[in-house]
Amino acid sequence: MDALHEFDVIRPKTIAEMLAARKAHPASRLIGGGTDILVNIRRGIEKPPVLIETTAVAELHGIAANEREIVVGASAKLAALAQNAAVLKHYPAIAAAADSIAGPTHRNMGTVGGNLCLDTRCIYYNQSEWWRGANAHCLKTALGEMCHVAPKSKGVCFATYSGDLAPAFLLYGGEIDLAGPDGTRTLALADFYTGYAKQDGSTGDGRTYLAIRPGEIVLRVRAKNVPGLVSAYDKIRIRKSIEYPVAGVAVALARKGDTLADLRVAFTGTNPRPVLLDGTSALCGKPLSDAALAALDDLCRDQIMSMKTTFTPGTYRRRVATVMAKRLVKRLWGAA
Amino acid sequence: MNEMTKPAALPAAVRSVGEYVPMVDGPEKVTGRAKYTADMLDAPALEAAIFRSPYAHAEIIDLDLSAALAVPGVRAIVTGDDCDMTYGVLPIAYTEYPMARGRTRYKGEPIAAVAADTIHAAKEAVAKIRLKAKELPAYFSAKAAKAPGAVQLLEQRPGNIERDVFFDLGEVDKGFAEADAVLEHEFHAAEVCQAQTEMHAALAEYDAQRDRLTVWCSTQVPFYVHLMLARTMKMDKAKIRVVKPFIGGGFGCRTETLQPELICAQLARKAGQRVRLVVNREETFITHRGRPESDVRMKMGMTKDGRITAVEMEQDQRGGAYSSYGVVTILYAGSMMFGIYDLQAARYVGRRVLTNTPPCGAFRGHGTVNTRFAFESMLDMLAEKLGLDPFEVRRKNLLKAPTFTLNDLMVNSYGLPECIDWVEKASRWQQKRQGLPPRADGRKRGIGFACSHYISGASKPVNWTGEPHATVNLKLDFDGSITLLTGAAEIGQGSSTILVQVAAEVLGLSMDRFRIIASDSAVTPKDNGSYSSRVTFMVGNAALQAAQNLKAVLVAAAAKKLEAKPEDIEVLGEVYRAASQDKGLTFQEVVVEALKDTGTITVKGNFNTIPESWGGKKYRGAAIGGTMGFSYAAQAVQVAVDEETGEVEVEDVWVAHDCGKALNRLTVEGQIQGSVWMGMGQAMSEETDYYHGLPVTPNFLDYRIPTIQDSPPIHTHIVESNDPYGPFGAKEAGEGSLASFIPAVANAIHHATGLRFRDTPFTPDKIFAALDKRARNAKKA
Repeated sequence: MDALHEFDVIRPKTIAEMLAARKAHPASRLIGGGTDILVNIRRGIEKPPVLIETTAVAELHGIAANEREIVVGASAKLAALAQNAAVLKHYPAIAAAADSIAGPTHRNMGTVGGNLCLDTRCIYYNQSEWWRGANAHCLKTALGEMCHVAPKSKGVCFATYSGDLAPAFLLYGGEIDLAGPDGTRTLALADFYTGYAKQDGSTGDGRTYLAIRPGEIVLRVRAKNVPGLVSAYDKIRIRKSIEYPVAGVAVALARKGDTLADLRVAFTGTNPRPVLLDGTSALCGKPLSDAALAALDDLCRDQIMSMKTTFTPGTYRRRVATVMAKRLVKRLWGAA
Repeated sequence: MNEMTKPAALPAAVRSVGEYVPMVDGPEKVTGRAKYTADMLDAPALEAAIFRSPYAHAEIIDLDLSAALAVPGVRAIVTGDDCDMTYGVLPIAYTEYPMARGRTRYKGEPIAAVAADTIHAAKEAVAKIRLKAKELPAYFSAKAAKAPGAVQLLEQRPGNIERDVFFDLGEVDKGFAEADAVLEHEFHAAEVCQAQTEMHAALAEYDAQRDRLTVWCSTQVPFYVHLMLARTMKMDKAKIRVVKPFIGGGFGCRTETLQPELICAQLARKAGQRVRLVVNREETFITHRGRPESDVRMKMGMTKDGRITAVEMEQDQRGGAYSSYGVVTILYAGSMMFGIYDLQAARYVGRRVLTNTPPCGAFRGHGTVNTRFAFESMLDMLAEKLGLDPFEVRRKNLLKAPTFTLNDLMVNSYGLPECIDWVEKASRWQQKRQGLPPRADGRKRGIGFACSHYISGASKPVNWTGEPHATVNLKLDFDGSITLLTGAAEIGQGSSTILVQVAAEVLGLSMDRFRIIASDSAVTPKDNGSYSSRVTFMVGNAALQAAQNLKAVLVAAAAKKLEAKPEDIEVLGEVYRAASQDKGLTFQEVVVEALKDTGTITVKGNFNTIPESWGGKKYRGAAIGGTMGFSYAAQAVQVAVDEETGEVEVEDVWVAHDCGKALNRLTVEGQIQGSVWMGMGQAMSEETDYYHGLPVTPNFLDYRIPTIQDSPPIHTHIVESNDPYGPFGAKEAGEGSLASFIPAVANAIHHATGLRFRDTPFTPDKIFAALDKRARNAKKA
């Protein structure tokens, strides 16, 4: 195993201490469970001189959920979220997404904030320093200039966002609370992710995929339920554990009699950001028909742009994401 | 009979053979006390790191070490200039240097190495080494490397052919002419890596005053390491000691000497200090020696009653940049078409091709696996064409043992028929083959079947010296303890347990009375090592003979003490007596008597193969495949296929394995399960691919070994055909069940979906693409 470089660890007890540490060490990085960042550090992708350990800050823990609202602290463990009875009952997609992450030991260590801020991934990026050097590096690090996934990308990075929680929270209109040197602010989760997606003119990409500002930290994620909304999460993987999603899909819908009253579909593992599918409202207000499913199919095909960022071909990821979305919609419709 | 009148229980020999026996080194492993090479931190050592080539193929123009040498704490740097001796496996194929000289032939090839006070200093120095090189054309496929005009990788290998093999045995063309059906198909098997848990590591200590070298390293064959250290260090073998600590798996990649131990020794001598070199997971993948990517074309003819009339195979293996086991692998791929069925006509063209990728080597099921994938798939395809049941086709082609195959392989014990019978019944094949109902979630189910076999040790060793194949020493001392000394490398497969069991069984003693010391060249007799599933058969036989020799010494001592004839001595484990009335001598009393004149007793047991098992001479290399005994396996695999996503779930596996005699049922079952599981990895998800020569998945996240979540129930069954030459009838148990998984699951997917997959691994994207193509074609039609 590669030895880590030498760094200092700061263990603040309060948010104020944490912000002060961030301010004092601008090149610092936060570490929760370390299941993402330690791997990247070992690979020489990052070499932060200071790590700020987040788990001793009591305010960042805690999961509160009821039929109206869910609030999850950034340091809450993934395993705790997956097993929380209220989350399982009222936000099944969120619990299922948490339960699908990596393996049990990772979920015992990994935090909700860490998963939401998961670095985007690419087979040309998640490699050792030697490997990347032997491949002329890539533009996601300071050392490279080209994108090996799309050499004609003109500077755009296509590294894929693969967090499982984000699409599930997006279903419920998630919001994220941030604290920084200038105080706290709240962003819609959909605006928190800035990586390039086809449906808007975002300038972000796989490199700049979070709207987080220097010195800012994630405090918590919140979301609101809508009466009658049912949800589910599923993902395709090559093996059933310790695997990022080849494609992950979260679906929530409300059924009123024979009418599809509400439909929300979100993806992960396909684009440089989690994608909340645009245009699903056009399918609502009528029964779930084959035509509606075909229209959903079109929306997916249009908005999912999986590229060769994983060993599994992008075309498969796009096609199967669509299959999974339709399957979850049918299942929830049938059960609602 | 009441308690009062019941006679005292007779002392009895203790039995362990045939039981479920926990491993003798289990407690150390379970408690974490076991010391692997990387754990040997008791004495200070310099830490080492390797500078690796960023080029797939290049001439080395200049290597500037000045900045690296200036890093504080750096004690030594070695490069190709420090060692002008090649190494390898076969004496005719020593083509590799510990560090590249003049030319580098794959990305990741070691070019230099640094030893420093800390790993950070070593890595910093590595980062400061400057390489100037002139790139050459690089070839990442067998096809590209063997194309006319390709630049030659090795001077002595024209056309980049490491070895080509040709044989034409029996009347192949006549066989095809007589067949009722002939099919010909192409198969492709992706390269796979052993992915053993322990990363490669070495610790080397050089004593400059005495010019002595001691190396501890993660190897399956300490003997080869010893030879290659002597060669590359230009040292007298007598000055070298090789010790194998605990090993975290091998599966073939450590059957040859690897760069870490050779480089570590070079550094230790140059620095004049102890040096530790532990490579990381990526470097372990680059060191590689896995199973080569194989392109197989197979043609097979069959009569309408299911008899194979002829087989023709062409196989190209992408061997990587150096020889490694290449010659052996390409020979096994052909010769192991035989030995399982009655095959009376076969033609083979095999090519081992040199490419600019890390060298492939020996991998569990060495050489046989991709051939078996094609062969057993073809059997099912022909069965379908002729309307025959897959089981009946196999039964129609069984051997009649004892026999010799067309390529002169000796077959004695042959438990394949019993394996087939058990699998058919246990899997409820006949019922399921009529059609399995889809699962509640809509997945389509199917069941498939295949057979495989493997050797119990190669009858002719690579380094043919005329010495016995195996030697075991037993030392008995004043304390009544017996120490078994063996060079056989315990690598997690359980060889130490088996050897103790065999010796204990012969002497009728509890295994508690034994200690075993394995693989320390200063203490243990030389052994050819743990490869080709040879240890139970060969070293087991040596242990058996050693124990018999010790028993004879003890019986003679008991006879002397009891004033009886040796043939009248009854050995009842801890009691030796002359007649049933005699209360006899305790084991300790016998030991005292035996040591009286001689002191500590050391006896020896040897094993040699018989010439009949050495394979034939019908073609160059025909000795490869020759063995004293073949193991056999049959397995059925049941799958559930999601036709919308292409996901295949392996639901159930039934596997029967003929290991001659299960000396230890616990470890035999474990080996069968492990083989099935490893076959499942190759079949379902594992693949080593390269992007311009860089391994794309050199880590355990992306190189997808199945997790326990992916593992089906594996129903094992042991068939005991009692081999006439095996110790207590035993043959190999660790490899034979691997190969049949792959065609069995391919046959099962075909049963479930009607689609035939000839390209491993069978990942969801491939299944999806094939289903999609079929749907589009159906729409067009």
